Formats: sequence, structure tokens, C-alpha cells
Amino acid sequence: MKSVYSWMDERLDITPLWRDIADHEVPEHVNPAHHFSAFVYCFGGLTFFVTVIQILSGMFLTMYYVPDIINAHSSVDYLQNKVAFGDIVRGMHHWGASLVIVMMFLHTLRVFFTGSYKAPREMNWVIGMLIFMVMLGLGFTGYLLPWDNKAYFATKVGIQIAETAPVIGAYIKEFLQGGPVVGAQTLTRFFAIHVFFLPAVMLALLGGHFFMIRKQGISGPL
Amino acid sequence: MSDGIAKGHDQHTEQSNHKKEMSRRQFLTYTLGATGGFLAAGITIPMIRFAVDPLLEKGEATDFVKVTEVSKLTTTPIEIRFQVNQVDGWVESNPELIAWLRKDEAGNVTALSPVCKHLGCTVNFVSTDNKYECPCHGAQYTNEGKNLKVAPLPLDEYSVKVDNGSVYLGQIIPNHLTSK
Amino acid sequence: MASSHNKDEKIIYVGDSRVPQKNHESVPRDYMAYPGKSEVFIPNFLLKEWMVASVFMVGFLVLILVDPAPLGEIADPTNAQFIPMPDWYFLFLYQMLKYPYLANKFVVFGTIVIPTIAFGALTLAPFLDTGKERRFYKRPISTGLMLLSIAAIIFLTNVSWMHYEEELEAKGLKPEKHATGGGKKKEEKMGVMAKDHPGFAVFKKATCVSCHGADMKGMSAAGIPALLGVGDKLDQAAIMNIIKNGSENKKMSAQYDSNINNGITPDEMNQLAEWLSKQKKTP
Repeated sequence: MKSVYSWMDERLDITPLWRDIADHEVPEHVNPAHHFSAFVYCFGGLTFFVTVIQILSGMFLTMYYVPDIINAHSSVDYLQNKVAFGDIVRGMHHWGASLVIVMMFLHTLRVFFTGSYKAPREMNWVIGMLIFMVMLGLGFTGYLLPWDNKAYFATKVGIQIAETAPVIGAYIKEFLQGGPVVGAQTLTRFFAIHVFFLPAVMLALLGGHFFMIRKQGISGPL
Repeated sequence: MSDGIAKGHDQHTEQSNHKKEMSRRQFLTYTLGATGGFLAAGITIPMIRFAVDPLLEKGEATDFVKVTEVSKLTTTPIEIRFQVNQVDGWVESNPELIAWLRKDEAGNVTALSPVCKHLGCTVNFVSTDNKYECPCHGAQYTNEGKNLKVAPLPLDEYSVKVDNGSVYLGQIIPNHLTSK
Repeated sequence: MASSHNKDEKIIYVGDSRVPQKNHESVPRDYMAYPGKSEVFIPNFLLKEWMVASVFMVGFLVLILVDPAPLGEIADPTNAQFIPMPDWYFLFLYQMLKYPYLANKFVVFGTIVIPTIAFGALTLAPFLDTGKERRFYKRPISTGLMLLSIAAIIFLTNVSWMHYEEELEAKGLKPEKHATGGGKKKEEKMGVMAKDHPGFAVFKKATCVSCHGADMKGMSAAGIPALLGVGDKLDQAAIMNIIKNGSENKKMSAQYDSNINNGITPDEMNQLAEWLSKQKKTP
């Protein structure tokens, strides 16, 4: 183990990469062990934790799910009720979707009320807001996928709302819907956006978010 | 002399302090590993069980399907197509299966699956040769399904039930005719 | 250089921009900027974070076990009874559209203008609130706006949810939580029974078809029931009674006389009723 590591380190010089993450010091004012009120600084980490759960459970759900209006509902029904632990994995994804919004909202409020978005951390706040919007997009597109009544009608209304935008509204509607009605083509579209496009954007944004935190450090005590 | 003892004592405490520091760090590292393991297990165990469920699911014995009457069979195999009810996850279908049925000299009904044991092509019975022949790589089997050429194993057969003059076929099992 | 067999000698890539030639001393960086105790990220601080995460995860798993994810009936675009509801975190936006000046002619205010201003302002907060002061009680404007927004979000979400529950109650509906597994399949298999019965021919020329349809599926949106499986609920006499006198809820008027006038004999009407009573879900 050790010799494999040193063999790689000799060639790639990887020690500084992880030492940089591992050895940085965390100040007292964000440490709940010193001040209990510092638990508000945990919300960001918990948001990331739920995000990881979402990514994993989502990957596993696609082993059974099909984005097709004839089979989508029965495949969800099957994976939830017939496959062992299916109710837990789908439950994780369903409740995690709500929890990630809650945690992100609390994290945003913490950053807002501690004024941590101020210089020099403006860019990270903007990226954080973009992550927020991507998350809302993931929530909106994921809501349709089980193809039950709730999903169908909420999406129909959502697309109608998008249509009210001046000038581009009709194009947005057409783009989201993919066809003349909310149907087969809408479902495949939402699936692609939910599973490939938005997660890719989100991972990029998360990378930027974490890079900046590490680079700029946590904002100081009030 | 006393200086030396004091010095030695100092060194000793320093060392034990150092040791203590190390073990504290190590303790934290182990605890961290355990907590991380707990987190990872709590999240991934349900998912992994979910993913491998098909492996652990017990195969249900297929129902016997009535395909023909005993009186219609001879010692020469005939091809019979029949439908079975197949539930594949959330998809329920009625795929068509093929069986070659014959009655041997003692009147026992046997049903062979025409899937070649070489590479899975569909074999045909050639009555002039009294052999099953595979169109792909020329595998040959006897009318009991014994492998003569190319194929490594005899043809599989269906489990057969004869009731009141009717023939019922069940699931596919390895050939037991040729071992006799 | 590469041929050197000295193990202690580090390989140095010269002229390769990807690997900077640097002598790293892997010494933890100081957090001297902050007075007070700081601690190293791994393992000390991360352990605390993961402890919090463990507690959080246990709570999360308990929630999942207690309340399984809902799955309603398969989407049915003709279902006019269903009350559309977005996920809870969109409710406040959805509720806004129910107020005058934010709906109908002015809907663009509710759907585009206000959300854009709100999210835009929030996104650009660091450029709008440029003061050095970080404590929230020393920046009354931004704090006040934020508190106001939070109050508005909570209020709107609550109103929306109350309204939804009232609507459900008024319509006598319950939110669909779990699909009734086999129900859908049974309905698919259910078809018109006993097609060789003379009553079927009568059905096709009688007035029934115009509302209940040739496939006997009715029109659920208009409140016209399907006749498939009607024999499970009503017998021949009860069906005849409805044909002669109309349905109890007065939606269907008496049909007997008009059919007789159209040249259908009373015998045929009896055959029709008899045939309808044979329409059962389970043969």
C-alpha cells in the first residue's frame, strides 16, 4: 500500500494536493464544539451530503426507470414496490429532493445574515445562487418523471407559466414540451435535462464553489 | 547525578507526552474512519441491495402450458410453437417458444428446445438424415438431442407432463435423455 | 536522469509546464488571521462534521421509513377533477399568480417580473450591498428586505396549501398517495362482454351510443359513467328502470320511449337490458 503510494507520488507528486485539503486549519468560530451556535455553519456541508445522496440514489434508480409514457409509471411502481429496498432508494431521492432545498435555503440565509457574501467573496455567492437555480431546475424536471397525475398536471401548469414570458415565451414552451402536448417527447426531454445536463452544470458549479472556499477561506468571525 | 536523573525524567515525560499526542491523533483518525464507514454504509447498502435484487430473486417455476395431444405425436419429431406468459419486471408479454416433440418407442413424450448449444442458433430437424442440424456452424444432434458434431452439449429439453392425453410443457432443463 | 538508480533522488520533469518544479514542504498553513483556537481539518474538524452528518442521516432514514414516497395514479390528461399542484417549494410563486394585478392581463408581472427582480436582486446582493459591515443588525435595509421576503414566502406557501386543502375537501378528493397497483390492469382487460348476444346489436342502434360511446367507456370528464362492468352493480331490472325513468341524479333522462319511437321493439329493449346486465368485470 505504502510502496504503491510512494511509487505514484514519486511520479505525480500528489502529496501536496491532498495535504492542502487535509492540513488546513479550521477556525474556532465555525466549530460547533466551541460554540454550539456554530451549527449554522453545517448547513452547507449537509447540502453537499444530500446532493451526494441524490446523485447516488438517482444513478441507482435509472437501473429500473424508463422515460417513456407507457412504462414510466409502471417501472416506478415496480422499483418501489417489487424490488428489495426500492422504497428506501426512491424515498431517499424523493425526500432528499425536498431536504436539499431546505438545507440550501438555510445555508443561503446563514451566508446572507453573516454577511459572508461581501468582498472578496462576491463571485462565490453568485455561483451559489446559480447552484440554487440549478437545484430548482432539477426539482422541476424530476417532478415529471414518475408520470403520475400530480407530475403531469404540475408540469403542464409550469410550462404554461413559462409561456407567459414576453417574446420568447412560446419558444420556451415549445423547447420544454418538445411536441404539441405534454407527452412522450416532454418526458424524454425532462429526463435528459434532469439526468445529464443539469447535473453536469451543477458539478461544474460545485467545483467552482469549493475551489473558491478553499482559496479564500471561511469568512472571519463577526 | 541528580541533574542527570531530572533530565532523564524530563525526557521520559516528553516522550510519553509525544506518544499520547500520537495516539490521540490516531484515535481521531480511526473514529473518523468508523464514522465515514457508517455514513457510507447507511447510504450505499440499501442502494447496492436494490441493484443486486435480480440476482437474489428466486426464479419462479414456470407454469405448464398445454401444447398438443399425445395422439398427434410420432417417433419423428414435429415442430410445435406455443406461447408462454412471461413477466419481465413491469412488462408482461406472451413470447412464442418452439419445441420439437416426439414420442419414443416406449411412448414417452420428449420435447427438445431447438436452441443450438454451440452458439445459440435455432436448429432444424432434417427428417432425411434423422438428425437435428444447425444452419450456422453445422452442428448436428440425434433425434434425442445428443450432440454429434461441433456442439459441446446435447440440446436442452422442456420438462414434460402428460395428463389425460394432452401434452403440457414446463421450463427448460438440461437434457437427461442422452445420458441414459 | 531517468536511468538513475538512486532511490532517494526525485525525478524532476524539466521543461514540463504541467508539473511545476517546486520544493513542497507539506506543512499545514496557519490560520493566524483568526484569533482563538483553530484545529486541523483532517481528522479533528471533519470528524465533527461527519458526526453531525451521521445524526442527520439517521433522521433522514427514519423519515424515509415512516413516510414512503408517494406515487399517484398514472397520468390521465382527461382527468378534469385533478387539482394541479407543484412541489411545495414552488408554491409561493404559484400562489402569487392567483392575485389580481399578478394574474390574467398582468400575469407577466407574477410569472416573470417579480421573480426576476427577487432572484436577480438576491444574486447581485454583494454588488448592491457593498458596505463593509457584515453584522446583520447593522445593515437594516438588506436584513429588512430579506426578512420581509421570508415572511412573504412563508405566508404565500401557507395560503396556497390551505387553499389546496379546502379545494380537496370541497371536491371530496383525497391526494393520491399510492397507485392502486392492479386496478389499472384490470380495467385494461375489461372489455365489452358477450358480443354475440342480440342486445349488443340493439345497443349500437339505440340512443345509448351517443353518450356512453361504442366502446362503452363513457366520458368521465362530462360525468357520463362507463357501462363496462355495469352488470356488477346493477341487475337487469335496475338497468331497465334507468332506461325507462332516467338515472337517479337526473343526469340521464328517460330513454325508453324515444328508442321505441325510433323503431326498436320492446323485446329488443329487454334484450338490451339483459345484455347490459351481463357486462361484468369478472366473467
